[in-house]
Amino acid sequence: MMKFGIFYELSVPRPFSRANEWLTYHNALEQCRVADELGFDHVWTVEHHFLEEYSHCPAPEVFLTAVAAQTQRIRVGHGAVVCVPEMNNPIRVAERAAALDIISNGRLELGTARSSTWTELGGFCADPDDTKKTWDEFCRVIPQMWTDDDFGWEGARFEMPARNVIPKPFQEPHPPMWVTVTTPGTELDAAERGLGCLGVSAAPFAEQERRTKEYYRRVANCDPVGSFVNDQVHTLNFLYCHEDYRQAAALGLPMVGAFSMSNAHLYFTREAYPTRAYQTLGNAGAALRSRGTANGSTPADDPSVAKGLPEGVGIGDPDHLVRTIRKWEDVGVTGINFLLNAMEMIPQQQVLDSLRLFATEVIPQFQTADERAARVQAPTTVPEVSSPDGSAHSTMPAGASR
Amino acid sequence: MISGTAAVDELAAGAPEIAAFGTESVRLGGVTGLSLVAELRRPAREAVLPPGLHPIVPPAMSLLAWDVSESPWGAFSAAFVRVVCRSGARARTFCVGAAASTDDAVAGLRSQFGFPAQRTHVALRRHYDGVDLTVAPAGESDNGASVGHGAGPMLELSALDPDPLSVGDLQHVGSMNLAHTPLGLRLVQVETHHEPSRVERLAARIDAFDAAAWGQPLLDPYWVVSCSVSLEDVEIPAIRFVCDPALPAAEGTERVQ
Repeated sequence: MMKFGIFYELSVPRPFSRANEWLTYHNALEQCRVADELGFDHVWTVEHHFLEEYSHCPAPEVFLTAVAAQTQRIRVGHGAVVCVPEMNNPIRVAERAAALDIISNGRLELGTARSSTWTELGGFCADPDDTKKTWDEFCRVIPQMWTDDDFGWEGARFEMPARNVIPKPFQEPHPPMWVTVTTPGTELDAAERGLGCLGVSAAPFAEQERRTKEYYRRVANCDPVGSFVNDQVHTLNFLYCHEDYRQAAALGLPMVGAFSMSNAHLYFTREAYPTRAYQTLGNAGAALRSRGTANGSTPADDPSVAKGLPEGVGIGDPDHLVRTIRKWEDVGVTGINFLLNAMEMIPQQQVLDSLRLFATEVIPQFQTADERAARVQAPTTVPEVSSPDGSAHSTMPAGASR
Repeated sequence: MISGTAAVDELAAGAPEIAAFGTESVRLGGVTGLSLVAELRRPAREAVLPPGLHPIVPPAMSLLAWDVSESPWGAFSAAFVRVVCRSGARARTFCVGAAASTDDAVAGLRSQFGFPAQRTHVALRRHYDGVDLTVAPAGESDNGASVGHGAGPMLELSALDPDPLSVGDLQHVGSMNLAHTPLGLRLVQVETHHEPSRVERLAARIDAFDAAAWGQPLLDPYWVVSCSVSLEDVEIPAIRFVCDPALPAAEGTERVQ
């Protein structure tokens, strides 16, 4: 079954003000509440630092804790934790994620990443040469911290004497783990480790199909870093759904353009720091390639041509979106996460209307009758949990043990 | 999205003149190239760029230096001080100042590609364990182009401990040069093509930088990000695009061939 999620960079319009920051965060929280009611499957939130305008979301675990507290069933995607020790100690990642999993009643998905901008890596004085190695090590130690009562590690970039890292996550054996895939090839890193593929850059259908096919081929024989294989492939898209295609395009396409432009204005590591560890320009490079591949005639050096707007963008009327998502489904994608806005360009009411229309007209086209019925169920609560003194009080959701 | 705020009229003072757009590329052979990126302090972010270009965060300077064995202009050395920016969505640099060691190179760089080159002393020396670059005033030039201010060096840097990289690890970003052209005052887009045979990354230190001598007192390269040295051939293709410095690239770009 195709999964549908919403995805937040928390991009803030200039001129920056305390009010704009507040509005961006609180509009997003309201969208999460509505998406939860409408039956969306995931809400994902990035971790970025210093990326003015593009992403004001350095503390996704805080935002997601608020989401968890204000919603009932939507899964909270910590997507993704930057696995660079100058930014995050892996012990703290495991601890925070476990706490968030408990707070959310077992709804956490943990994404991992390594950052692609010099703005971020340089700001933390992190060595770009090392990020792939530290990411790999984080991916291996975090699930062990969640499941081992006496965990110690002596690795290449991280070590610790044996401790019991607590609390343990609510989900057993642990939350699903993912890798954000910005540059081509990272999907293979995900597959080899049994991690879900969380696409965060645009690729045309043919390219996505090629990557997805190879991902599935490799993940089938992987050596998982966690206790189980997460073999889902999600892609990132934009969403603006309106009954009138022209109105959808009129509001949605400028949002896509503004977001893509703000992305292109990031200072990517490869541009600032020659290294083997960053072979492409991240999202911007991917968008450029997709454009060139799509029409084959765009001069690579023409500055008047905007990058991006690859095929398969989720802007349009419900029928168009159903057809578009079918194509994503056909190339092996199991989930689509949507950016709903950029720099608050689309008024909040229209964002919510778009979400509701999509949930009413589009999502059901990808569900069986049983799945539709399951989505409208109230959150499941089960057995009472006994306190140490034997008195019964709180209830525990059924998903506690998988 | 932020844009440059520099007054185009002020930037235009002393801008080179391109009387006619050339159709031939210029090939530089046997080039030792140095590329250094340094972060700039915030006041330089918008203030040094024309409105048609967009700064990045954090603001950064890209320094390029060449020691050229063979070219249509003969052997020469040159250095280019550029501010990292975006033209539309494209990664570019805005060339604030340039220096070359011979009059022929100064003339060629100015008249064919709009680099604001001035005649100076440029010495790029590669040693077994590092590189030194010195740019210093060289007196009045034959073509009347202005020469660096003051008696001190315009630039001194040293880099040590070369660490080999593969030739594909180094990315070059094109330059936008403000010049008087047959189409008017324009940002001339110069995309150099590099064919490196060897690339090394080094740890660099800027020992002296006279921002005023490079024509932009706000430049303060206080934090070195990276430095690399390459052995390469370089092609400077004929100009294909120019942009109105006062307009965003989407509106102000013209194709010249």
